[in-house]
Amino acid sequence: MKEILLKTENLSKSFSSGGTLQHVLKNIDLELYKGDFTVIMGASGAGKSTLLYALSGMDTPTLGTITFGGTGDSNVISNLSPDALAVFRRRHCGFVFQQIYLVDGMSVMDNVLAAGLLVSKDKKALVKRAKELFQAVGISEEAQRKFPAQISGGEAQRVGIVRGLINSPGVLFADEPTGALNSKTGLEVLDTLTKFNESGQSVVMVTHDMRSARRGNRILYLKDGAVLGECILGRYQHGDQERHEKLSSFLTEMGW
Amino acid sequence: MKKGFLIACSNLRRVKGQTAAIIILVLLAACMLNLWLMLAMDYKQNFDRYHDKLNAEHVTFVITGDDKEMREFIAETLEKDPHTLEYRMDDAMSMVGSFEYNGGNVNTDFVILEKETALTRSIGRVELVEDSGLASGIYFPMLYRGNQEDAMGRTRRITIGDSQAEYTLCGFTNSVMTGSHNCTMTALLLTADQYKALEEKGIAPRSTMVSVRIRDKSESMDFEAMIKNAVSSRYPEARTLSNSYTLVSSSRYISQMICSGVVSAMAFFVLLIALVVIASNIIHYIQENMTNLGALKAVGYTSGQLISSLLLQFLSIAALSAAVGAGLSYCLFPAVNTMMISQTGIPYELRFLPLPFVAALVLIGGTVAAAVWLSSRRIRKIEPIAALRQGIRTHSFKRNFVPLESSSVPLQAALALKTTFSSMKHNVTVCVTMLVLSLVVVFSGLMLENMIIDMDPFISLIVGETADSCINVNADAEEEFLQLMEEEPGAEKVYLFHTADVRHMDGVSLMASVSEDFSLINNQDLCFRGRFPRYDNEVAVAAKYAREKGLEVGNEITLTADGKEAVYLISGFTQISNNLGRDCLLTRSGYERIGHFQNLSYYINVAEGEDIDAFNESVSERLGAGVNITINVLATLNGSSAVYVSLMKMIVFAILVLSVVIIAFVLYLLVRTLLSTKRRDYGILKALGFTSGQLILQTAVSFMPAMAISTALGLVLSAMVINPLVALFLSGIGIVECTFNIPVGFIVAAGIGLVAAAFGIVCLLSLKVRRIAPQALLAGE
Repeated sequence: MKEILLKTENLSKSFSSGGTLQHVLKNIDLELYKGDFTVIMGASGAGKSTLLYALSGMDTPTLGTITFGGTGDSNVISNLSPDALAVFRRRHCGFVFQQIYLVDGMSVMDNVLAAGLLVSKDKKALVKRAKELFQAVGISEEAQRKFPAQISGGEAQRVGIVRGLINSPGVLFADEPTGALNSKTGLEVLDTLTKFNESGQSVVMVTHDMRSARRGNRILYLKDGAVLGECILGRYQHGDQERHEKLSSFLTEMGW
Repeated sequence: MKKGFLIACSNLRRVKGQTAAIIILVLLAACMLNLWLMLAMDYKQNFDRYHDKLNAEHVTFVITGDDKEMREFIAETLEKDPHTLEYRMDDAMSMVGSFEYNGGNVNTDFVILEKETALTRSIGRVELVEDSGLASGIYFPMLYRGNQEDAMGRTRRITIGDSQAEYTLCGFTNSVMTGSHNCTMTALLLTADQYKALEEKGIAPRSTMVSVRIRDKSESMDFEAMIKNAVSSRYPEARTLSNSYTLVSSSRYISQMICSGVVSAMAFFVLLIALVVIASNIIHYIQENMTNLGALKAVGYTSGQLISSLLLQFLSIAALSAAVGAGLSYCLFPAVNTMMISQTGIPYELRFLPLPFVAALVLIGGTVAAAVWLSSRRIRKIEPIAALRQGIRTHSFKRNFVPLESSSVPLQAALALKTTFSSMKHNVTVCVTMLVLSLVVVFSGLMLENMIIDMDPFISLIVGETADSCINVNADAEEEFLQLMEEEPGAEKVYLFHTADVRHMDGVSLMASVSEDFSLINNQDLCFRGRFPRYDNEVAVAAKYAREKGLEVGNEITLTADGKEAVYLISGFTQISNNLGRDCLLTRSGYERIGHFQNLSYYINVAEGEDIDAFNESVSERLGAGVNITINVLATLNGSSAVYVSLMKMIVFAILVLSVVIIAFVLYLLVRTLLSTKRRDYGILKALGFTSGQLILQTAVSFMPAMAISTALGLVLSAMVINPLVALFLSGIGIVECTFNIPVGFIVAAGIGLVAAAFGIVCLLSLKVRRIAPQALLAGE
C-alpha cells in the first residue's frame, strides 16, 4: 500500500474572464503517492498548470480540499492564508520552472542558499548539502560562484533542481522543466530528475512532451479540467520499448 | 502630431495616479514660484511706488528746536549741497515714547505732527489708510493696526517721555519713511486740538522735521551723515533723529526678504521633486513598455515621434497645472499679504502681475521639457527586435555582494543588503535627499531653539545688547542715579550702554554703543573677533563695515562727533544688524574725546522676581525730572518679536511638512521603481516560500543603510555648516558670524524620526508586494 503524498477532493478552480466564469478544474478527486514520478499531461488549456499551482500551494482552489500527507484537518492546505501557504511551500515543496527563474542578481550558490536558509539555520550543513547536490548534478565549484546569466541553460536548470531539492522537500514540482532547453540539455535535466526520483524523491511534473512523460511511473491525463485517465508504467528503464508503447497507446486512447 | 497626440492620450489613461501626482506637484510648484516671484519682483517695488506716490523724502531729519536761525542754517546747508533736489521743513514735536502693541511695548522716537500739516506736505506726505472721521484724537501708522483692541473710537494710551497720555484712536496712516519703529522714528498724527494741547503741556519739545529729496537715492546714507554732522556740530545741545532711504527700505522689508527666500527654496524643492517624478515616470514607462515601444518602432514610428508624444503629454500637463497653480497663488496671496503688511506696515494692493505669471510658466515649462528630453533619450537606443524579445538588459555582474555562504548576517538582512548594493542609483538619490533634508531639519531645529523656544540668541544677534530695563537719565542727574542704583536692592547689575552717532572720517555715519566697561554687558558675543575696546583710543567696528572698507584689527581710523575728531585703534569686530552693519563700540572715555553726553542710557538687570515696570516707575518717581525715559526692554522685545515668532513658527511648520512630503514622494518613486525591477525576483522568492511580510521588510531594510548613513552624515555636516550658512543668509543686514545654539537633542530625535518615518513609509509603499502572485511565474508571465 503506497503512502499518500497529496490528496484532492472535489478540487475545482474557476476564473472570471470577460464577465464569464470559466471552470478550469472540475471536481477532481486525486491521490498522489510518495516516491512516485507523477506526470500530468494534457492538451494546452486542459488545466495542467492550474492543477500544479493548486497542488503546490501556489494558488488556492475555488472549491474542494487538498490534503498534504496524512488525512487530519491540520494537513489541509487548501484553506491556508497566503503566508501559511508560503511556509508550507518552503518546508514541503521544491520547484523547477520552465523558465528556470533563478534570481539574476545572486550567484548560483546564493540562489540555492536563499531557499535553504529559509528553513534551516545550520548554514554549514546547508552549504555541505548544496555542494553535494551540485556535484550530483554536475555543477562545478567555479560555476557555483557565477551569476545565472553566466552559465548555460542546461546548467541553470540543474541549478534550479538543486534549489528545489535543497530543503529535502516532500515533493518536487516541475513545470515543463525541459520546455526552454535544447534536446541535449533537456535530456540531462530529465536524467537528473530521474536519478533523484530513483533515490526516493517524489516528483510531480507537468509536460506535454512525450519524451519527458516517459520518465514518470504514473501518467495522469487531463482534459477540460478533469482527469480523463491514468496510466501506470512502472519505473523508468532506458530503452524499454514495451513501456514506451504502453504510454503511446494510452495517449492515443486519450486523444492526444 | 496627431499620432503623437494619440500616444500621449493613451499613456495618460494608463497612469492616472502618477499623472495626478505630477499635476499636484507642478500645481504646488507653480503656486509657490508665482508667490515668490510676486514677492521678489513686485513687493519691495511697492515701497518705491508709495515713495513716489507720497513724494517721500530720501532723508528724514528731526531736530529739537524750531527757531528761525536754526532753520535758516539747515536750509543754507541743504541748498549748498549739490545732492539736494528739494526739501521741506515743518513744525513737529519729538520725544521718546512707547505704546502697547502685540502683547508687549513698542519703544520708539515719536515724531508728532499736526494731522492736516502731515496730510498736505509736498514732500514726505502722510496718507490716511483708514479714517473714522472723529474730530479729536490720534492717528497711528497702519503697522500698528493689530486686532479688535485697536478698533477706531477706542482710547489708546501712550507714554511720551515720562508722561502718560490718552487719545481716541481716529484712524491709521501710511508714511513710507516714518511709519514704523524700524524707521528710527514713528510719526503720530494728532488732530489740531490735541496737537495744540500737547504743545501747551510741554512734555514733547517743539522740533523741526526736515524732509529732503536728493538726486541719487543710493547716496542717502552719506547725505544723512552729512546733514546730521553739520547740524550737530552747530547745535550740539539739540537732540536729533534721522533716517535714510537705504536704511528704511531695507529694514521695513526684512520679513519680506526672509519669507521670499523661504518660499523660493520651497518652490524649487517642489519643482525638483516634480521633475524627478516626471523623469522617473518616463524611465519607468520605457522600462515597462519596452515591447510596446519596440512594436511602435517596428511599425514605423521614429524615436522623435515617440519622444515628442512624451513631450506633448508632460508639457500639456505641466502647462495646465502651472497655469492653475499660478492662478491659485492669487487666492493665497491675500493671506501672505496680510502677514507681510503686519511686518512692513505699507499697504499692498493685489493685482494681476503678468511678468511673474509668465516667468513661472516659462520656468516650469522649460525645466519639464528638459527633464522629459533627458529622461527619454533611452528611446533612441531601442532596437525594435531586441525590445520585442525581452527589452534591454542592464544588469551587471561585477560582484556578488554579501555572499550567503560566508556572510554572518541573517538571511533577511543579507538579502536586503544585496538589494542595497545592487541599487546604487537609488542609494545616491536617497543620500542626496536625506542630505538636503538633514540640512532642512537642522535649520528648523536652529530656528526652533534660537528663535522660538529661547529667542535670546536671535535677539542678541539682531539687537546687540539686551537687559531687563533701560533708563535714560540727564547727564546732570547721573551721579544721583548711580547712587540710587547702589542702594536699590532690585537692581542686580547696572551699566552704561548708550548709543550715539559718530562719523568715520573716510566713510559714513556709524552708530556707536558706548560703555564704561564692556565686560559688564550681557552679550559677550557682541565682539566676535579681537576684543572689546578697553582704553580711550580703542574702537571695535562692525565686521561688515570693516570688510567694506578693508579695515583690519590693529588699523587706525579717525572718528568725529560734535565737531571734534580723534584717532582710534581697531581692537575687534562686532556684528549688530540694527544699523545694517554700520556700528562701532567705544569706551566712555573714548567717546568723550570727541563727544559729550547730554543724557545717558543705563541698562539694568533687575533681581529675580522684581517687576520691571514697578522698578522703572519707582526710579522715575525718586529721580523726578532727572529721568528722561524708562523702557521695559523685555516687554518691548516681546512686542516686537511676537510677529517674528509667528512668522518663524509658520516657516518651521512649512519646512517640516514639506520634508515629510519630499521623503514620501522620493521613497514612493524609488519603491515603485524597485518593485517594478524586482517584481520577477520577488515572484521567485515568493514561490520558494518567502512571505509578503519578509519581502516588505527586506525592501524597507534595503533602504536603511543609505538612509541612516546619509542622515547621520547630513546632520553632522549640517550642524557644522548651519551657522556659517545662516550668517551668509543674514550678511545683508550686517551679520558676519553666527553662534546659534545647535539643538543636539532635537537634531538626534529628528534624525531618528526621519529614518523611522522613512522606514514606515517604505513599509507602507511596499505593501504592493502582496499583489505579486507566484503562480504568475509558472504561467510564464
